[in-house]
Amino acid sequence: MTRHDFIARLRQGLVGLPLQAQSDIVADYETHFNEGLAAGRSEADVAAALGDPDRLARELRTEVGVQRWQAQRNPEAAAAAVFAVLGLGAIDILVLLPILITVVSVLCAFGIVALVGFVAGAFVLAAGPFAHGPGGIGAALLTGLGMMAGGVSMASVVTLVSIGLVNALIWYGRLHYRLLKPAIDPQPVGEFAAS
Amino acid sequence: MPEAIDIQLKKGALDLCVLALLSRGDSYAYEIASRLSETIGMGEGTIYPLMRRMQADGLVETYLVESSAGPSRKYYRLTAAGQTSFAAQKDAWRSFAGAVQTILGEP
Repeated sequence: MTRHDFIARLRQGLVGLPLQAQSDIVADYETHFNEGLAAGRSEADVAAALGDPDRLARELRTEVGVQRWQAQRNPEAAAAAVFAVLGLGAIDILVLLPILITVVSVLCAFGIVALVGFVAGAFVLAAGPFAHGPGGIGAALLTGLGMMAGGVSMASVVTLVSIGLVNALIWYGRLHYRLLKPAIDPQPVGEFAAS
Repeated sequence: MPEAIDIQLKKGALDLCVLALLSRGDSYAYEIASRLSETIGMGEGTIYPLMRRMQADGLVETYLVESSAGPSRKYYRLTAAGQTSFAAQKDAWRSFAGAVQTILGEP
């Protein structure tokens, strides 16, 4: 494989990452080629020693995704990190999917209950004083506030559990990738020709 | 295809080896990769995801050094957290390796 092929396949594997991350990564490997050539090695030799660019791209995607998730805890970063980890192929998706769907459904249900509680509380708070219910205005206000507070605390518990879940998934995926599918030995040259 | 245990041993020791190399002096990725590729037979490309992860975990940091020939080089050095991690991993490795030696019945 030539330097050009290696970099092209690496780039292809990195599509979708932030542009800054992509160019940083490509620059690392370009530098590696430069150093190798300066040391008197051939392009094919350096490329073979580097390993499979598709594999490296998958591993780098995960690192970038996880880094982003650690920096910004939002649903988009979580989704990107989870998909990158799943892309490693270290987690058996068929085994994991039913469990994941169940857990995510339960979390969604709790999230909806929290939202409904908050909205209902707001309604009681706003409309209660005019409804002349038992206990008068004060009770209606307190009930409304209580329901809203309950909704908010439930939502925060759901958020914390979701963050924990994403972290657990990342930890598990990385651990198993490192142990089960190592890229330690350079791939045989024949494999490049075949793929 | 090498035996799975061989690969697992190397992969497990890779982090420790990189920390050890950097504890002896700052270095750049190509140099680390060629040292480890010569000695433990690691694929050179693996160094970049690994350095990225170590940087994200705060174990290493980078700085640029102007080079007389060509563009400046990105050097890695251990952070305080990296030195702590190295000491802890080294101890863990020694006690584990010692235990295995004992079981194997070799001095």
